[in-house]
Amino acid sequence: MKTITVSFLLNGKKTSVTSLPNRTLLDVLREDLGLTGAKDACGGEGECGACTVIMNGNPVNSCMIFIGQIEGTQITTIEGLMEKGEFHRLQKSFVEAGAVQCGFCTPGAILTAKTLLDNNPHPTDHEIREGLSGNLCRCTGYNKMIDAIHLAEQGGLDD
Amino acid sequence: MTDRFLTVGKSLHRKDAWDKTTGKALYTADIPIENLRVGMIVRSPHHYARILDIDKKQSLEIPGVLAVLMSDDIPGDKVFGPLIPDQPSLARDVVRHLGEPVVLIIAETKRAAQEAANQIQVSYEPLGAVFDPVQAAREDAPQLHQDGNVITALNIKDGDIEKGFQDADHILDDTYTLPRIHPGYMEPETSLAVWGEDQTITVWVSSQHPFTDQRFIAAALDLPVENVRVKSGVIGGAFGGKEDSSLSILAALGAWAIKGAVRLVNTRRESFIAHPKRHPAQIHYKLGAMSDGTFTALKAEVHMDTGAYASYGPAVAAILTETLAGAYRIPNVQVESFVVYTNSPLSGAMRGFGSPQSHFAVESMVDSMAEEIGMDPVQIRRANILKVGEKMFTGVTLNETANALPICLDKAQEIMDRFRAVEVSPGKKAGVGMALAAQSMGLGANVPDDSTHRLEWAPDGKVLIHLGAPDLGQGLAMAVEQITAEALGLPYSQVESLPLDTLDRPNGNVTCASRMTYMAGNALIDASEKLIQDLLAHAGEILEVPAKMLVYKEGQIIKEDGKKLPVVEFLGRLAEKSITLTSESTFSFPYPEETTPQGLPIGMPHVLYCFGAQVARVEVDPDLGTVEVTHFAAIHDVGKVISQSGVEGQIEGGVATGLGYALYETMLRKDDQWVDSFTEYLLPTSKDLPTHYESIILEIPEASGPYGAKGIGEIPLVPTAPAVANAVKNAVGVRVKKLPITPERVLGFID
Amino acid sequence: MQEFNYHRPITITELKECLSIPGARILAGGTDIVPRMRQGKFSVPALVDTSGVKAMRFIEDQGSEIVLGALTTHQEAADSPLLQNINPALVTAAESIGCQQTRCRGTLGGNIANASPAADTLPALLIFDATLLLQSLEGERRIPLEEFLLGPGQTDLLEGEFIHSISFKPMIGSWGAAFIKIGKRSGMAISVANTAVAVELNDKGKISDIRIALGSVAPTVIRCRKIEQALLGKEPEPALMKEIHKACQEEISPITDIRSSAEYRNHAAEVIIHRALESAVEQAKERGR
Repeated sequence: MKTITVSFLLNGKKTSVTSLPNRTLLDVLREDLGLTGAKDACGGEGECGACTVIMNGNPVNSCMIFIGQIEGTQITTIEGLMEKGEFHRLQKSFVEAGAVQCGFCTPGAILTAKTLLDNNPHPTDHEIREGLSGNLCRCTGYNKMIDAIHLAEQGGLDD
Repeated sequence: MTDRFLTVGKSLHRKDAWDKTTGKALYTADIPIENLRVGMIVRSPHHYARILDIDKKQSLEIPGVLAVLMSDDIPGDKVFGPLIPDQPSLARDVVRHLGEPVVLIIAETKRAAQEAANQIQVSYEPLGAVFDPVQAAREDAPQLHQDGNVITALNIKDGDIEKGFQDADHILDDTYTLPRIHPGYMEPETSLAVWGEDQTITVWVSSQHPFTDQRFIAAALDLPVENVRVKSGVIGGAFGGKEDSSLSILAALGAWAIKGAVRLVNTRRESFIAHPKRHPAQIHYKLGAMSDGTFTALKAEVHMDTGAYASYGPAVAAILTETLAGAYRIPNVQVESFVVYTNSPLSGAMRGFGSPQSHFAVESMVDSMAEEIGMDPVQIRRANILKVGEKMFTGVTLNETANALPICLDKAQEIMDRFRAVEVSPGKKAGVGMALAAQSMGLGANVPDDSTHRLEWAPDGKVLIHLGAPDLGQGLAMAVEQITAEALGLPYSQVESLPLDTLDRPNGNVTCASRMTYMAGNALIDASEKLIQDLLAHAGEILEVPAKMLVYKEGQIIKEDGKKLPVVEFLGRLAEKSITLTSESTFSFPYPEETTPQGLPIGMPHVLYCFGAQVARVEVDPDLGTVEVTHFAAIHDVGKVISQSGVEGQIEGGVATGLGYALYETMLRKDDQWVDSFTEYLLPTSKDLPTHYESIILEIPEASGPYGAKGIGEIPLVPTAPAVANAVKNAVGVRVKKLPITPERVLGFID
Repeated sequence: MQEFNYHRPITITELKECLSIPGARILAGGTDIVPRMRQGKFSVPALVDTSGVKAMRFIEDQGSEIVLGALTTHQEAADSPLLQNINPALVTAAESIGCQQTRCRGTLGGNIANASPAADTLPALLIFDATLLLQSLEGERRIPLEEFLLGPGQTDLLEGEFIHSISFKPMIGSWGAAFIKIGKRSGMAISVANTAVAVELNDKGKISDIRIALGSVAPTVIRCRKIEQALLGKEPEPALMKEIHKACQEEISPITDIRSSAEYRNHAAEVIIHRALESAVEQAKERGR
């Protein structure tokens, strides 16, 4: 098995990694790049969304993507969500609404919520439930996450 | 009343939330360590088998493999267990469940570890397995352990059972069956162990009981306890499931063997087959009532499947048994409960600890009885709820917080009326149901139930809480910070709780049993008082006045002349003299001898109860049998809200877990394999939960609680499943007695 | 974890060459293959990643036919206004797959090649008599989707071949098409049973063309010719449930597995066929107005 070298834009920075091809984006983020915000909760089966990152504007499960598949893509992880030292409005709203408990699903849920709001600035409850359905959470029952997303889309967060 | 509190009762930001929203929070699997080695566990492919031989030669020859460890390689205790030391860290001679650890491999890379795992030669002689606890309890069943399969046999009686049924005008008799379910924490079990110099080891764990981990590790490695340092990583949920050792012994064994650093992380599949679950149970339930609805007798027989090893089985049986009469006055009771070994995956602690099982039986049965007699479900409950000062069948007298019960029923009635008025979707049948719940707090009488915590007033004025128990993600840290801030009259921002480290923290005991806010809160209020006294004493010396002439208020010391001096000034002066203000306090769960019934088995009874009621509105598709919970309300007495958002979060999350128990979750066995992934084991998603949801929080102060608070960790999922089952019955007339309530069961295709 | 040689072609010619390596397997979205390979469920000597092949990701109206590139994602299908007009059943099916994360990775070609009996897009393609264009270094061939599916995970795809595109003819006149699935939960649901029904009504309001496909009730997703036959020429009315029931008993014999029982699947199939038919008929009547 030969290693491959893959180039992509990671959190806005040109990045190049060399890896065996049977490793996933999640493996490379966590093990090679030290970005441990993406979590493995379901064992790499795409069933929980804890490893969600944004790839070319879409939320994807990084556990289901072999590293070769990200050649030429733009990847945003939770570590890249803050801009100029400022929290993203969803990071603020998740804290404000009490949507964070154990926090293991939080990075994935926030990134999914970001793509949702990017495509649909004022989603209904139903659209939020649909959009978040790939991100399992055992702590919150999702209510406060939905509140947090509304809080972010409606503005009105304290700075 | 609201003015009384500065911090308690407010909705504040959790201090750990920022790191969790930015990916900075380090869970045990995230902690970076130099020269980290990979651990991999070779597990049993059989449900029950004799190990004939383990050949590790080939594995050891693989480049990068550092150690291949078996039971014989464990220098100290080879078995462990929270109640009964019956569980081998690595199997020896025999494997008793699929997925039991047999060999531990330590390698430089995942690849080498995997290759070594593939090369391990273990020969087994499969044995006939038993999975059903009723069958396993029989003498002719395969016997898994030396003393037989029945670990616990409880027989609790009150009154005269024969007479009770003679007095009954109506007698109903049913069997309720509860599935095996996964606690469902998102973070799988993990531990990270680093061998240090001087025969010491540091282990990061995702655990509810780091001090127990410390003891187990020391015993397994034959080290003095003080040579083992256990630290808590950020914990990604526990829900009871991390009261069992989450790989800490094996990670430590690996690190000890290679004198290096080893991390073990369970895959979700390993988590499913090898880590304890909620006990499956069969509950045979017979209830007698007079025609006015008064309950006269209860006879129940319970079989609980605890799997291959005991875990917390006997203790779960205690609460399951004690709560079988729910919140009701039943004068004549006989309950027999059996905890049985089987070749199933282990069952242990999970949120509710037996009480979700018992409540499914009692609350389903109460509705059936109401229907039998022709009473309204709320009315029959009203006729039977325990009043303040009355005794449960265990002899426990309910205190004044039982006043919550009639209020819960009043609220439930209002909500049911409201939910009944909701328009039904085309083609659907709607139903509304409710259930009541009583959930115990605490570990039970006659077992150690103490909790110690410490405060430190740092020179900069910040108060540090050396919390003796881990925050599992539920927000314990926020709750105790609010309590401490309140007790010291300081802003919330000035109080900070530190993560657990057995090196220098007091032992706060296990975070479990709906009691840690209560235990730690009480200890910290007392510690705050001591801290203030200590401060005043030192301040008196500095000011050269008697301490009793000084008053402490909200971060200031007030002199007799009314002059206010900020505390930091004194802290600075003390720091110059190398004096740090600290205080420590232990709170012991109260089991006053005069009111605690004696003579019951150890760990019984539980004497303090939380109360709640829940109401579900469902829409059932009568052709497909599918059930949608459209509306849901949870009414809970919390004594006193410490953290508003924390309490709401506990209730909302608990209800979601309860709805999973009601409708989706079950760890089935099919074709000799257990369901072992989230593909087939279905947790509720955001699309599966009711779109109309309300929490009604009652505050009936608990005299022994911090500011009147009691627990809320477990009860929110206790009445959920029976409330849904009762709503389904109300909608389509089908009484589902086995969870989960699947379309097949609603249509009567199975069971 | 399986080991393999990795290839990433850019053009279709390169793709053909890569797939001519003995045992080579195509990697499209990866939502099925990546987890299965990681669990060690199968291994391949060479994996051919199609993420660079842009020429197979399109939805085109070619006049008499609609052609879908095999690498079109479920999300792209779900969001396509063209498909909403031509095959609303396919749009509903694509929307119902997994969650956002899997829909924007999973592809139509991948769904077909996996040949899961529970695949959601397949019934919606079968009712439009979809044809596949298969290509390889040797050349190309067309095959009806129905003939392509041989069993669970088994297809007529030959070594070196790949699905290039999927095509079907639009329906004309008073027609309608609907898809319904039953899962065990609402979010990330895998079908316990699913169905797609297309219907055409003649000017007397009778069923002049009917196509029914069912998933999760047989080793492959199937067309239900007996049920179609039983309904052809009939007036669409609630009493048709009886006909559906009778024909269904003859047509399908589902199995009991971890997700559901044979009895339930049998029953549910009848119910959802009837409901999908009602929905399709409603659309047909709307178009007839």
